[in-house]
Amino acid sequence: MSAALIFGLLFALMLTGMPISISLGLTVLTFLFTMTEVPIESVGLKLFSGLDNFGIMAIPFFILAGTFLTRGGVARRMIAFTTSLVGHLPGGLGLAGVAACAMFAAISGSSVATVVAIGSIMMPAMVEHGYPRRFGVGVISTSGALGILVPPSIILVLYGVSTNTSIGALFMAGIVPGVILASMLAAVTWFVAWRNGYPRMPRADFGQQWKAFRESLWGLLLIGIVLGGIYGGIFTPTEAAAVAAVYAFCITVFVYKELNLRDVPKVLLQAASMSSMLLYIITNAVLFSFLMTHEQIPQTMAAWIIDKNFSIWMFLLVVNVILLLAGNVMDPSSILLIMAPILYPLATKLGVHPVHLGVLMIVNTEVGLCHPPVGLNLYIASSIAKMGISEITIAVLPWLCAMLAFLGLITYAPGISLWLPRLLGMI
Amino acid sequence: MLRILDRLEEILISALMGAATLLIFVSVLHRFGTGISFLYPYLIQIHIAWTQELCIYMFIWMAKFGAAYGVRTGIHVGVDVLINRLNDRWRKGVILFGLAGGALFTAIVGTMGAKFVIELMHTDQVSPDLELPSWLVYACIPLGSYLMCFRFLQVMWAYWRTNALPHHDAAHVEGIEVSQKAPIALGEA
Repeated sequence: MSAALIFGLLFALMLTGMPISISLGLTVLTFLFTMTEVPIESVGLKLFSGLDNFGIMAIPFFILAGTFLTRGGVARRMIAFTTSLVGHLPGGLGLAGVAACAMFAAISGSSVATVVAIGSIMMPAMVEHGYPRRFGVGVISTSGALGILVPPSIILVLYGVSTNTSIGALFMAGIVPGVILASMLAAVTWFVAWRNGYPRMPRADFGQQWKAFRESLWGLLLIGIVLGGIYGGIFTPTEAAAVAAVYAFCITVFVYKELNLRDVPKVLLQAASMSSMLLYIITNAVLFSFLMTHEQIPQTMAAWIIDKNFSIWMFLLVVNVILLLAGNVMDPSSILLIMAPILYPLATKLGVHPVHLGVLMIVNTEVGLCHPPVGLNLYIASSIAKMGISEITIAVLPWLCAMLAFLGLITYAPGISLWLPRLLGMI
Repeated sequence: MLRILDRLEEILISALMGAATLLIFVSVLHRFGTGISFLYPYLIQIHIAWTQELCIYMFIWMAKFGAAYGVRTGIHVGVDVLINRLNDRWRKGVILFGLAGGALFTAIVGTMGAKFVIELMHTDQVSPDLELPSWLVYACIPLGSYLMCFRFLQVMWAYWRTNALPHHDAAHVEGIEVSQKAPIALGEA
């Protein structure tokens, strides 16, 4: 009963267009004021203690690193490198775009940064070389979603923090699915380009490939620092993120010299305001999940599911449907923060591994990023390519189908996500 | 006067972001340094166990004031699927309601936070590692929330008068222009 009230109120408030963080907070306050005897003062404390966790602080650091990298010439050099490798195949620039997105995703933790960084260079370049506009948009806006699957990923940090799952293990779990999704998207790209006879690039010889590799090496090293550092136990994920931010600052300002020291405060401000927005949702989501636990909603749902003898198969199907629906109205971080505390206890009761659930949730939100009405990647692509949203929606369809197939694969083959962290002894 | 406030807000959150990054970077360097034998005697005397706590506090302060800055720049995301389908008069009413909700929430939270901080001032509670007085650390809740409330009212007033909402464009990154010519050196490389 209270569950229906809570969610009803939350949805009603959200539909008025007020910020999601505020809707969460107001729902909690209304409920606490009217229905329960929880001392209201504890809410004030929760607003502080909800963030009092060093793990969460990886998020602002990764955002800062991403902001530096988006502005620097890292993306351009990665694109040049991947183009020299695969440019001569059918749909060469498209394949190079997928590969560059995957690479950039491995140094930045957000999809938006990936689409902006790769898309603003790659989409005009593809038009220039005679590819249809919608092909470029389709490739980049779906491949950009790799940003939150391939580690480091801000969304994986959010999941790790809100369910107390090891962030290191989650990062490792994202690698194999990331490579598989990138290959699937590349396969679709290749097929579409091959069918339509899109232009190829001249083949680059080994010397050119080596030169492009050397130039992009500074950016690629960051992958080693973050993943190697976390896996090797040298850093905690938060420290790795801080080191990545400093490293990103050094290469964009001193090595590639794409950013003046005078512009640094602007980058800091931009990263700070993006991080604050996320941290603000987190505080209110912590309040919300405090209310949920207080009302014993996840526990009641878990008991009900056990009682009805739900199979894992059915449960995962329902989870997918709910998350895909949520993807129609909310962005990935809000979905994660609201749903993870609810789904986590249910999943563990049924024997679904928390790391598997995390990857599954990420892939679901990725699909949400690539279709309207709130697919952020589409909006970014549309403003870069100057195309209408409805046209882009059709343009991404082939890749979106591949993503849905991939979602099925991830859902029912937990081994894909769990194999690497198990191999490394992290879970 | 307002412009000074705006500027202060921006400087505060950028400075906290930069300082926290340097702080953690230095603490990582320090840990590496103590592993090197000839640096060990010097570095071991510097205690930096408090860096994590300080970093958390800095980011919480940043989050509270950054959230207020975000209201001014329109970065807080909401669900706009429904309101975009309403006619203009309804749309305006609903959006004003949403903004009022924001102002109400932040006002309540600010007041609760203020009460809490005043209670703490009468105790001599300190934070675990830094031993800062607790009330000082928690002061960001009332200060940040009231500032945010003020920003919501400001945005509401501007919207009511001019129909203009601050809008954050995620695709626009300053310093990155969408290049019209292919910048990738292909073939010629």
